[in-house]
Amino acid sequence: MLAWTAAAAALVLWLLLLAALAVATRNPEVAAAPPTGELAPHSPAIVDLITGGWRLCDEAASATLLDLAARGAVRIEEIGPELSLVRLRRDPGDLKPYEKLVYDHVRSLAVDGVVATGALAEGSRNLGRWWKSFRRKVIVEARALGLSRPRWSRAQAAVLTAAAAVPSLAVAVAVTVSDDEHEGGLGGAVVTFALLMALMGRLNGERGTASGARAAGEWLGVRGHLAATGRFAEQPAASVTIWGRHLAYAAALGLAPRAVISLPVSVPADDRRAWSDYGGMWHVVHVRYPRRLLWAREPGPMLFRALAAGFFAGFWTWIVLLVVSAVGLAPDALVLPCALAVAAVAAGVPLAYAIVDLMGKVVVEGQIVRLRRFRVGTKGNDDPKYAHWCAIDDGRAREVKAYGIGADLWGSLSEGEKVRARVGRKLGWIHTIEVVERSRLRGTAGYDDTGEHRVNAPENLGEVRIFDTRQE
Amino acid sequence: MITLVVVAVVAVLLLLAAVSLYNGLVRRRGAVDNAWAQIDVQLRRRHDLIPNLVETVNGYAAHERQALEAVVAARSRAVGARTPQDQAAAEDALSGALKGLFALAEAYPDLKASRNFAELQEELSDTENRIAYSRQYYNDAVLTYNNAIQTVPANIVAGMTGFAAREYFQAPGEERGPVQVRF
Repeated sequence: MLAWTAAAAALVLWLLLLAALAVATRNPEVAAAPPTGELAPHSPAIVDLITGGWRLCDEAASATLLDLAARGAVRIEEIGPELSLVRLRRDPGDLKPYEKLVYDHVRSLAVDGVVATGALAEGSRNLGRWWKSFRRKVIVEARALGLSRPRWSRAQAAVLTAAAAVPSLAVAVAVTVSDDEHEGGLGGAVVTFALLMALMGRLNGERGTASGARAAGEWLGVRGHLAATGRFAEQPAASVTIWGRHLAYAAALGLAPRAVISLPVSVPADDRRAWSDYGGMWHVVHVRYPRRLLWAREPGPMLFRALAAGFFAGFWTWIVLLVVSAVGLAPDALVLPCALAVAAVAAGVPLAYAIVDLMGKVVVEGQIVRLRRFRVGTKGNDDPKYAHWCAIDDGRAREVKAYGIGADLWGSLSEGEKVRARVGRKLGWIHTIEVVERSRLRGTAGYDDTGEHRVNAPENLGEVRIFDTRQE
Repeated sequence: MITLVVVAVVAVLLLLAAVSLYNGLVRRRGAVDNAWAQIDVQLRRRHDLIPNLVETVNGYAAHERQALEAVVAARSRAVGARTPQDQAAAEDALSGALKGLFALAEAYPDLKASRNFAELQEELSDTENRIAYSRQYYNDAVLTYNNAIQTVPANIVAGMTGFAAREYFQAPGEERGPVQVRF
């Protein structure tokens, strides 16, 4: 009991130390400066970071693209209320690493130098990694400018880590004393230490410096000025032609939601509204995922499913009609014929569909616009069971029904690939699929963190380490 | 009495459905008009650029009269076109004439080196691309609208209130779809 009390006391002391350091290293107070129209030389992404409590928001990537447009690296043109284009203009020159990341994403999607704004969410990138990379690059610059720093200094992190060893050891002793048969002391110590480190990491992150707080205050002054002078909330992204960099900063400061929403640079692509460049021009394709009752099914298993459906439908109808006729509400003579009719209908439609699909398939040629899998239940061993979908834009309609496809085939495909598929017309199942042209988006993601930017700044853990490239 | 109430309720529901359908059709028709306005803006932009282009080419290759006159004539026809089909045919002809003119420019190094010409060529190329997107946007809007006024039960409301099918922006005999011209 004494050992456990000592362990609890050690834990409480460590938590008090953590709380004291957390209070001591909290973000500085930011006082908004008087409204001003003067723009300091920070980029919109940096502004987003320092005015958002040193946490980067999704708006930062869209604001960066607006900034690139304002500086002439790209042009944003409105074609209609639901269609705007981003046009690459010229060699963008020296871009900051995170600006280059955004520019390269636009360039990877561009067809003849043009991409629809809605299509900015498309592409083969891993969005999580892309965003992490973007965030890291922004943080590196913010730190270089002296506007931001990691919450825990090296010394503080070392003190907390060393101090965490004490409660861990105390737990180890307590476990050993209370249960000397199982020697669980070491395990208890490791688990306790890991939990304390996780808690410490959880509280870590970026925090503002004094000069960062001053800069943030000035930018809040700009925010006040922009909020009072321009109706940025209603401005489309294409209005950057008129508003210039002010729109980019308004977006970073949360004043231009319409422009930000229309530039989905850092948000995942919609499952049901895809953008396709099949035929050479970007256009919207609405994707439907019908209920899988008579769609996205293999014809072979469907034969058995049809027979089972017929049997059960007929059987239960027969039972119900037997009861109904027993109480005199229906003539006995109708019981069996009705049950058989119901069975025939329940089995007939899927049987007919399956037979039609087994007899012949249609060839669909086009571009894969969506590859998705949705959970549809669990297998016997509690593993999740998925339905795999593949939507193909064949250029003939703006609305397509996604086809069902086997997991093996699904895994070998990539969005943007031009394919030729043999498909069951009635049950919507892809039997074979052949890639006619590889996706031009495959492998274009140039944000590999082992490459140009050697920096480690996960959301809450650790500190940013900038490796000196000259030494390598 | 009950019959009267039922009839009244059904009548009100039918009226609400008709109003809803009518409003939907109005929205779609508005989208078509808006899309057409966008095409119009881009076409005007192109028409406005052409006199400058002709002037520039004339300065370096004055004896290429035939090509220059073909462009000017095609532009006049395009400016005078009224219906989407006529407009599409005239614009296609104008694109062809411009293509011919740019092909001729290859034979005149001084013209090709001219900054003014290069800028005009780039501007026209961008405008062509925007026209192509506007055209696709317009045709999509027309497809949605035409489908809406032809499907049951909206076709009843459309017939009673005078919604007529719209023409696609395509030259007679041309396939509807993206048309890209590259200079």
